[in-house]
Amino acid sequence: MRRVGLAGTALVLVSATACSGGAVSGMGDGDGTLTLAVGVTATPWDLASAGLGDYINYYEPVFDSLVRLDRYAEATPNLATSWRYDTSRTVLTMKLRKGVRFTDGTALDAAAVKANLLHTKEGTNEAAGKLRAIRTVDAVNPSTVAIHLSAPDPSLITSLGDPSGMVASPKALDGKKGPVGSGPYVLNKSGTTNGSVYTFTRNRDYWNTKAFPFKKIVIRTISDPTARLNALLGEQVDWARIDPRSASQVKGRGLQVSSHVDAVEGLYIWDRAGKIVPALGKVKVRQALNYAFDRDAIAKKINMGYAFATSQMAIPESGAYEKSLQRTYPYDPGKARKLLAEAGYPHGFTVTMPDVSSVAAGQQAVMTQALEDIGVKVKTKKVPSTELFTSLQRGKYAMSWFKLASYRPWDYISTQLTADGAWNPAKDFDPKLAKLIATARKATGARQNELFKQINRYVQTNAFNAPWDVLDSVHGVSNSIKVTPQPFESAIPIYQMTPAS
Amino acid sequence: MLTFLLRRVAAGLVLLYVLATAAFAMMSLTGTDAVRNISGNTATPAQVAAKTHELGLDRPWISQYGSWLGHAVRGDFGVSWFSGDPVAASLALKVPVTLSVVVAGLILATALSIVLGVAAAVRRGWLDRVVQVLAILGYAVPSFLAALALSVIVAVKLRWLPATGYVPFAVSPSGWFQSITLPAVSLSIGVIAATAQQVRGSAIDVLRQDFVRTLRSRGISERRVLFRHVLRNAAPPALTVLSLQFIGLVGGAVITEKVFGLPGVGSAAVTASTNGDTPLVMGVVVYLVFIVVAVNLLVDVAYGWLNPKVRVR
Repeated sequence: MRRVGLAGTALVLVSATACSGGAVSGMGDGDGTLTLAVGVTATPWDLASAGLGDYINYYEPVFDSLVRLDRYAEATPNLATSWRYDTSRTVLTMKLRKGVRFTDGTALDAAAVKANLLHTKEGTNEAAGKLRAIRTVDAVNPSTVAIHLSAPDPSLITSLGDPSGMVASPKALDGKKGPVGSGPYVLNKSGTTNGSVYTFTRNRDYWNTKAFPFKKIVIRTISDPTARLNALLGEQVDWARIDPRSASQVKGRGLQVSSHVDAVEGLYIWDRAGKIVPALGKVKVRQALNYAFDRDAIAKKINMGYAFATSQMAIPESGAYEKSLQRTYPYDPGKARKLLAEAGYPHGFTVTMPDVSSVAAGQQAVMTQALEDIGVKVKTKKVPSTELFTSLQRGKYAMSWFKLASYRPWDYISTQLTADGAWNPAKDFDPKLAKLIATARKATGARQNELFKQINRYVQTNAFNAPWDVLDSVHGVSNSIKVTPQPFESAIPIYQMTPAS
Repeated sequence: MLTFLLRRVAAGLVLLYVLATAAFAMMSLTGTDAVRNISGNTATPAQVAAKTHELGLDRPWISQYGSWLGHAVRGDFGVSWFSGDPVAASLALKVPVTLSVVVAGLILATALSIVLGVAAAVRRGWLDRVVQVLAILGYAVPSFLAALALSVIVAVKLRWLPATGYVPFAVSPSGWFQSITLPAVSLSIGVIAATAQQVRGSAIDVLRQDFVRTLRSRGISERRVLFRHVLRNAAPPALTVLSLQFIGLVGGAVITEKVFGLPGVGSAAVTASTNGDTPLVMGVVVYLVFIVVAVNLLVDVAYGWLNPKVRVR
């Protein structure tokens, strides 16, 4: 009978020692491999369906872009070696690099660029959205394209550094058989399992290999934040987006934490015309909402210091930013109640909001509390996290917590302020603002920045939203690489990652 | 026996049909705006309408279901609305991940629960009490907590095993073994707890029976009594618990897959359902029902093998 007990112990030991067998496969360092953990599942290889933000990492290795954004997010020559606008700023002529070929042997010429821009533009995702101003594209000669716009687009050139301006082989635009580009790497099919791991190896014919020091890029899709963190802490990956609350843990393990400005968070007022909640149509009510929040406390306690308080929609890197607008609306619930009374709502009003606890639990709790404090009665409605964005975009809610990426001035304007903006769900139209916008989009240089500032001021004075703070994008980074974050880009482009040594 | 098996297979097919229909109906009822989710932020109403038409979502429910069923019976599960990958091909990549973890967890659980259960039943005393306390603990600890603790301690702190990811067996058998060990262990804890208790209980019952005393009085060695006779008689209830646990594991693998970043069926099912990716969800449902039916069949066959009394003629 003793044997039974012993056999049991033996089995436990066997299974335990089996676990400690081999070494964990280390990534990153010595062998020239860069391994990223990306939280979003890749959008299709067809650039017309490409998302932006973290999705960019999937496209960068294979597809080269017309321009390259430097560390200040300024456009520098890449596939396009030079460019200029005509005086009306509606025709952008670009000279293309000669002698570049796609990995299927097709020449990368004006016709290929034309085919790509017109194809991507017809898509429905974010990359396509940035090309909306394009009316048509002319292949002037094999190395010159002329992009004709329906109206000036001050952000177009920098957008061409994103998947919007990436170029795929005209023979494989739909990407159904995998991506074919002219970029620094090619997708290695044997090292790739769709939806979980993507391996890219060098494209030996790439014209600018020195800008991409790694021999191999591996992207692992890990949607769960805890798994992503563990992959980083276990040194399986070199880079991962992390929750600010995990930053101290990452530092504690001797790894690096990189953070840079990412998005403006706050109470977004979608129903500025007061169609759903009439009270929101009044400026004083919207201003009252701005006085309701203790922005510093939110930045410090909820976002663990990876944020700073603000009252404006523009970030310091933006041409529309004005330091004096940073603290226009201090925390003052008394003033908020007074403004509500002046606007004819001494007892507040009732508003139905989506419960965003699934994506921002702390923010939801603070927001509800702050609104109730000034007399606004909040009814929350449960919305699954995947439905949240679509329900907001369809204009179902008058206001909600939200965060918008820290866009360049024109990107912000075309996203939230124009009548057809993706984040102007009520299709709100303000004639005075529209006139300002129309002038700004045609202007250039310092004059344009001055107009962007005016728009920023207008938006803030009229309390279009109640921004709280500028959030950081926080990343955990292994010690084998160095990263250089770029403004207006939430992810870190792979060309901004280099080996540490 | 053959008629019995055929009857079970037929019942399984009916079950598959009923569940697939129910799942399809539920996918339509959730009201998830799949088209919006697919189209992205900047889709115009016209583009949304075109996509709706392309996916056939503007047709009546029954016609959508009919066309899915028509293709499914021929083994064509369509393509995922989100990734554009064929459902069958993408499940072929994901099923081995989930099955590796679940089957490894089950093998581990079976071995350990038999050893622990029998040891507790035979030795009683302190060993029995320790096993009982461990069983209660194992049962009470949720598997995701065990998964988190294991990954932090074994993978992140000790670096003995990878924290995340899956290595296919064909690529590297040792890599495969390492990648599934922690998930399998974390899945098995609850099963060991439940099954060890069951094995212990039925072994004690069998040990008290007259035939055991008779066998012993005839001078048959204790080992032979235990493994040849007691275990065989005590096995069927344990087998029932194991088969139920297995089915539970296939569902429970969802969280384990998430924690260990495994590209399995569970994590795909969650993402697909929340996105409203009907073809992929339906593929997963069919696969799960298939597994459940197959396991039940296997258990029925195993009953007969273990105990001739329940063999169906």
